[in-house]
Amino acid sequence: MFLTRSEYDRGVNTFSPEGRLFQVEYAIEAIKLGSTAIGIRTSEGVVLAVEKRVTSPLLVADSIEKILEIDTHVACAMSGLTADSRTMIEHARIEAQNHTFNYDEPVPVESVTQSVCDLALRFGESTDGQQSTMSRPFGVALLIAGVDDRGPQLFHTDPSGTFWRYEAKAIGAGSEGAQTELQEQYHRGMSLEEAETLALKVLKQVMEEKLSSTNVQLAKVTEQTGFQIYTKDELEAVIGRL
Amino acid sequence: MAPSMESTTGFKFDNVRRNQLLGDKGYKVPTATKTGTTIVGLIFRDGVILGADTRATAGPIVADKNCEKIHYLAPNMYCCGAGTAADTEFTTNMISSQLALHSLSTGREARVVTAMTMLKQYLFKYQGHIGAALVLGGYDVGGPHLFTIYPHGSTDKLPYVTMGSGSLAAMSVFESRWRQGMSREEGIELVKDAIEAGIFNDMGSGSNVDVCVITKGNTEYLRNYARPNERVEKEQSYKFPAGTTEFIVPRPAGVAAGEESTAMDTSA
Amino acid sequence: MDFAQFQQAPVSVPTEHHSHGNRWDPYVDNGGTSLAIAGEDFVVVASDTRQSNGYSINSRYSPKAFELSNGSVLATTGYHADALKLVEHIEQRAQLYFHKHDRAMNVSAMAQMLSGILYSKRFFPYYVFPILSGLDAKGKGAVYTYDPVGNMERVNYQAYGSASALVQPFLDSQVGFKNQRNADPSRLLERPQAVKLAIDAFTGATERDIHTGDWLDLFIIDQDGIHQTKRELKHD
Repeated sequence: MFLTRSEYDRGVNTFSPEGRLFQVEYAIEAIKLGSTAIGIRTSEGVVLAVEKRVTSPLLVADSIEKILEIDTHVACAMSGLTADSRTMIEHARIEAQNHTFNYDEPVPVESVTQSVCDLALRFGESTDGQQSTMSRPFGVALLIAGVDDRGPQLFHTDPSGTFWRYEAKAIGAGSEGAQTELQEQYHRGMSLEEAETLALKVLKQVMEEKLSSTNVQLAKVTEQTGFQIYTKDELEAVIGRL
Repeated sequence: MAPSMESTTGFKFDNVRRNQLLGDKGYKVPTATKTGTTIVGLIFRDGVILGADTRATAGPIVADKNCEKIHYLAPNMYCCGAGTAADTEFTTNMISSQLALHSLSTGREARVVTAMTMLKQYLFKYQGHIGAALVLGGYDVGGPHLFTIYPHGSTDKLPYVTMGSGSLAAMSVFESRWRQGMSREEGIELVKDAIEAGIFNDMGSGSNVDVCVITKGNTEYLRNYARPNERVEKEQSYKFPAGTTEFIVPRPAGVAAGEESTAMDTSA
Repeated sequence: MDFAQFQQAPVSVPTEHHSHGNRWDPYVDNGGTSLAIAGEDFVVVASDTRQSNGYSINSRYSPKAFELSNGSVLATTGYHADALKLVEHIEQRAQLYFHKHDRAMNVSAMAQMLSGILYSKRFFPYYVFPILSGLDAKGKGAVYTYDPVGNMERVNYQAYGSASALVQPFLDSQVGFKNQRNADPSRLLERPQAVKLAIDAFTGATERDIHTGDWLDLFIIDQDGIHQTKRELKHD
């Protein structure tokens, strides 16, 4: 890909003669440098699992937040530039709150996903003569997990502003291997408990470090309890099942 | 005794200045009941026919569904009233008694112009503050007469007239169908239709049609000549079973009402 | 004593007091009455169709209860032009919602939205007293009432409009079972009873309120949809 570098790889508003937007493609590449995140949907709820890269023994592992709450019924795992994800998640949270304020009901998971993608696409925007608000695409991919009246759902968004619905999806550095593994192991009748195990099992396979309760984070979104991050004890119980 | 207290007749103006002051300070000045109404009259071959609706209103509420708006003045004269209810009632009553005295002292039947003149002079004196708008009709030595009298005292003498909030609706019927020398039946039908135009198109008017036919030596008061607005049956009964009424303290057996008083403690 | 002063007519007499002069007033009260009664799995909505101004009738059949695209009914009273604009406003927002979220609004969402729409015009309100009716997410009858600036309340029954002072006490007694021994105020009416009460409320209101009459639009909302019927009221 880098062999095709040309004058077209700078502006986010300019297609290459082959019909490509290089900056967007580079942003998608950037995610492949990020830590691995996995989402698995079951009929009981959605599981999110992320790898935390504790790059130094002096780094406080708890300060790495890669699974975040959007609303009580929607959560999100990210991979890529953490700072960019803050902007997107803040936007999603506002969208969720506005929806509840206006309609006295939880925001649908797809709607909040769409709204985040609308934001992701604004890298091309600028008003006449004004400086554009965004200088580049977000270097982030998200796994948005939630439950609404259409049941548990999992969405994947990328920097191009596109989103897809998945049964199981991996993003980040180990995504290729993890996705292959998920494809082989996922089945529709899977229970939430099986999904927990599968998520960590796949994560374990693609992680460079040895998987432990400090370098992974596990969360779920269910109809009954909404979004929950697993405590250290709960996480260790799942690890114990591996 | 102060001279102002000596007078026992007519209106008292003691509170005028006080009420003006209160009104200027923003207090709500009480308003008299004004009735939306349709009243009409026409001259036909043998005399005059008066007509009126029977709705009395208090603001948007129907106060009386079958009131009488055709007032008696003399055996040969009747008068429909619109405007402030009390004013039409008192004005026609008073003029009626004056007309009775007048015909007693002259020994003749009073003329319609006499009644008209008395009414207009009385109303003019009060500069429109007596809110009576009248349709006066009668038959005397000069034949049939029909007048309208406005609250400020102006009068008209016309072959067909309407008044009240439904006057436009009623006049539209008269203007399209009245002609000289109508028969009694045609006249009554036209008056009925004019009043019904008011009843159905003016919300200040409603319910039934009263008609009064005055001819030489004869007066026929056709109360509720038409009843085009009968009340419909309710869908169900609204009787409450005995014992439904709530009470707070049951009265002990044998104790009559009023005995359970507690004297105030004045010992302290 | 100067006798002449007692002979004088009063300098001035009280006249009707107007608190404000000829200020611009863009509102008109077009009269009429609307009511809604919720049942366990239905709602009865009724509005007369007379539209008036002062003592004049603008129209004998000008409906002021509207079926909305999501299967609810909005019954209004107040200023008819504002009611029509309000319905347009609601429908526009409902359509946006439908396309954005790929589903029809349920009644509670629309209720909350309507409150927001009304409040968004807090200082130039829609002069409308809306009653929004439909079935809630559990299929129960739902009635939401508002003031013109968006204060909202879910109730079991409500009467609004020119005859509300006549009809609401009637509903308090016959639907709310208020102030009655041996009665359960939380009991919901059966459908035939609710329909009969709605009809009797309007024949009664027509007798005594000059602004109510001509025709009655009746809506019954249940899980099969909206059933509309029309009845004649007195025209005087």
